[in-house]
Amino acid sequence: MHWLVILRFIGLLAVFIAAAMLPPLVVSFIYETMDFYAILISIAVSLGVGVMLTALTAGEKGASINHRDGAAIVTFGWMWAGLIGVMPYLLYGAMPSFVDAYFESISGFSTTGASIIRDVEALPVGILLWRSMTQWLGGMGIIVLSIAILPFIGVGGMQLYRAETPSPVVDKLKPRISETARVLWKVYLLFTLSEIVLLAFGGMDILDAVNHSLCTIPTGGFSTRNLSIAYYDNAYFDSVIIFFMLLAGINFSLHYRFLKGNTGAFTRDPECRIYLIVVGCLIGLVALDLYGSVFESFWRSLRAAAFQVASIITTTGFATEDFDRWPSLSKLILLGCMFIGGMAGSTGGGMKVMRIVLLVKHAFQELFRIAHPHAVSAVKLGGKPVPGDVMSSIWGFSILYFLLFIVCTLAMCMVGLDMTSAFSSVAASIGNIGPGLGLVGPTLNYMDVPALGKWILIFCMLVGRLEVYTVLVLLTPEFWKK
Amino acid sequence: MKILIVGAGEVGFYIAKRLSEEKHDVILIDKEASKIKRVNENLDVKALLGQGTSPRLLQEAGIVGADMLVAVTDSDEVNLVACMIARKLNPVMTKVARVRNDEYLDPNLFDRELLGLDHIISPEHVLVRTILDLIEVPGASEVVEFVQGRVKLIGLNVSKYSALRGTPLSSFQNLKSNFLVGAVVRGGRLFIPRGQDTIRQGDLVYLVAKAEEVSNVLADVFKVSQEPVARVLIVGAGQAGTELAKLLEKKKIAVKLFEKNPEKCSRLAEMLEKTVVINGDGTDQELLLEENIGEMDLVVALTEDEENNVFVSLLAKALGAKRTITRISKIGYLPIVLTLGIDPVVNTRLSAVRAILQNIRKGRVISVAPLKGEHAEAIEAEALETSDIVNVPLSRVGFPKGAILATVVRGEEVIIPKGDTVVVPGDRLIMLALRDALPRLEKLLTVKLEYF
Repeated sequence: MHWLVILRFIGLLAVFIAAAMLPPLVVSFIYETMDFYAILISIAVSLGVGVMLTALTAGEKGASINHRDGAAIVTFGWMWAGLIGVMPYLLYGAMPSFVDAYFESISGFSTTGASIIRDVEALPVGILLWRSMTQWLGGMGIIVLSIAILPFIGVGGMQLYRAETPSPVVDKLKPRISETARVLWKVYLLFTLSEIVLLAFGGMDILDAVNHSLCTIPTGGFSTRNLSIAYYDNAYFDSVIIFFMLLAGINFSLHYRFLKGNTGAFTRDPECRIYLIVVGCLIGLVALDLYGSVFESFWRSLRAAAFQVASIITTTGFATEDFDRWPSLSKLILLGCMFIGGMAGSTGGGMKVMRIVLLVKHAFQELFRIAHPHAVSAVKLGGKPVPGDVMSSIWGFSILYFLLFIVCTLAMCMVGLDMTSAFSSVAASIGNIGPGLGLVGPTLNYMDVPALGKWILIFCMLVGRLEVYTVLVLLTPEFWKK
Repeated sequence: MKILIVGAGEVGFYIAKRLSEEKHDVILIDKEASKIKRVNENLDVKALLGQGTSPRLLQEAGIVGADMLVAVTDSDEVNLVACMIARKLNPVMTKVARVRNDEYLDPNLFDRELLGLDHIISPEHVLVRTILDLIEVPGASEVVEFVQGRVKLIGLNVSKYSALRGTPLSSFQNLKSNFLVGAVVRGGRLFIPRGQDTIRQGDLVYLVAKAEEVSNVLADVFKVSQEPVARVLIVGAGQAGTELAKLLEKKKIAVKLFEKNPEKCSRLAEMLEKTVVINGDGTDQELLLEENIGEMDLVVALTEDEENNVFVSLLAKALGAKRTITRISKIGYLPIVLTLGIDPVVNTRLSAVRAILQNIRKGRVISVAPLKGEHAEAIEAEALETSDIVNVPLSRVGFPKGAILATVVRGEEVIIPKGDTVVVPGDRLIMLALRDALPRLEKLLTVKLEYF
């Protein structure tokens, strides 16, 4: 383990995050809100710490990073980012305790969008923008961003990229990893700007439009309104947000290819086809379930179903309806969506469509092999065989994911939550969705979860965002052996 | 530059590593998943799984916008077909292929136009050439020729008899300036010496001299015996071994050739005239003694099995052979093998790397040779009218730190440069440079730095 290299990275990260606090600072200056000094001090402190750390470890410039360093840098980097993100909240006094502020901060960076704030609208604009900013940084990944910006030691960048990217296989769009990261961030930025324009065009307040866009593209789900998107009750806003949520749930490599002029990028990708079909079917099912039982109008049912399915399957977590009051079938479908998540390489959380498709294919292949014991076959995706090590890594991922889900649900019950709240809060945290059911339903928030429960959920959010392995490997003794 | 490499074997991997470290965009193609995995884990390049001869894959790899294609798979046929396809898809790109089989290179068979090749790397040929150079310069561990063989770069271990030992370079260089010490490797580190530096026993020095003066310099200054080689034993009658035997025969050198395969031996016996072909294993001690190994001036271990080659050389040294030359394929083995004392080592892969680097260096670079593995390079280039190096005394040229101008060749003249030497356009320059200094050296050779 190269501790100095890790420290150096932590320092650089602090500088980045300080830079990301500048827009909130400017906004709070323009609107003359009370949070100006809180943000200013936060910037000064993180910049100071960052510059000091990088200066102290200047000798490590260009040092190489191995697999282990990659996992350690990414995990500690995220924990550290959360810690810096806490500063504006605590200095302004937006949160009553450290654990609440850290919960909000990690929920932001991990793009979960679970909030402990009861009255969001009472907070000043600077703090709110910072809150959205954490999601935006976390969506494409703070480490990927640093790879894109820093003239990076190539191979080391690859290790970091792999540890952070939400995909079982790394898709290099460009020969160099820093180029790949830069290209993805450009697409990300383009989407965010387009959404801002479309929302503002529809009449949304410009700051709200910015905040909501910063939280849609990373599939985050923080809102500047207590009622989330339901506040607007506007079909145009709903459809714009549905569109961008679904877009954010698609692999960004495909977006890049599409924008580069490959018009068949989406339809030719097998994972994308399945993703679109699944989303379509689930929307239809929920709409039929809601029609008559919750809403009188079919269009109203369809709109609510489309928004909620898109919001949960892409793991955004915006709400237009209190789906906790919906019939069981719809609730269960939404719960299922929490596990599916977006596509590999998207900003969505969950287990990812690709993993689920491959698991199902693998299971069917076993059936096939029982029927034809001597047949030679391979699991294929889009006509290409999936290597055995990728397959076993997916199995390992899924088992760990469920194990973690079960253990943490038990733990949440132990700290005093009822069953529905316990498992939905854990599912919503591991999957980086945000709102769950029961106590943590879309109209309520996580404030009433006991402190210990909040720590458990913080852990779940980090593990979920960093795709299980990166964090869990740090907990194994093997990792620390010399 | 954007460079496509077909074949992620030892050569492909090594070239990809070098080029990506020099900030080129590299895309590697190989049909083996395990090789792709190794690349993905170790290098910052894009690796694609599939056949290098698939036009669809080449297009996916971005051949249209690429500057260069390097085909270095183990199969000549794949390399040639990849280049032919590349020629169709992107006629302007530079195409380099590794071709082992001589017959393909016959100009009557294919002309280069058809194959679309700009440069052919024939590792076995280069290997034999390198061995001959080493034989011609007894005592050298490395020999690189420049300007059609008129200038030689010699790598040499300084023995305790050397007159140079312990004296500052400046006194020597002024006294006798028919050679120049361009680089010194001491304790595993390579540096470009200055006037006040002294040479110690055990150093590996790289010196540049006129071809005809090399043996004088080695004999007088370094006290290396320049007795010509008369008896050579070659182990392994592969393509390189056979070719070497043939060439040595012509030079009236007595050759013994060991080969394990009896059928091959009888074929060799028919083909070769004076060479003694021996059917047997080069690691068979009894057999080696029987064939008077102790009397041999040189043992060349050229089998396909590199571990075997190392063993043959160690054994030959132990049994009294004067010198050995060992063929090694894995570039990663080089540092370890050098510590075994069986210098010199030859490597087919490094020669391939050399040819490719030549095409990538900017300016009018004629030849490039990596020194000491990869820490430094010797470069032969033409002095351009526009470059900053011409028409001013060298003492006023801002030569980058870690680089040295070793020789200037002007027409018939070979000049060992001093501070007052003036380079004129058209001169051939031979330079040595540490890797860090390469970008600045390239700049110096190409454009005038007007804002400096």
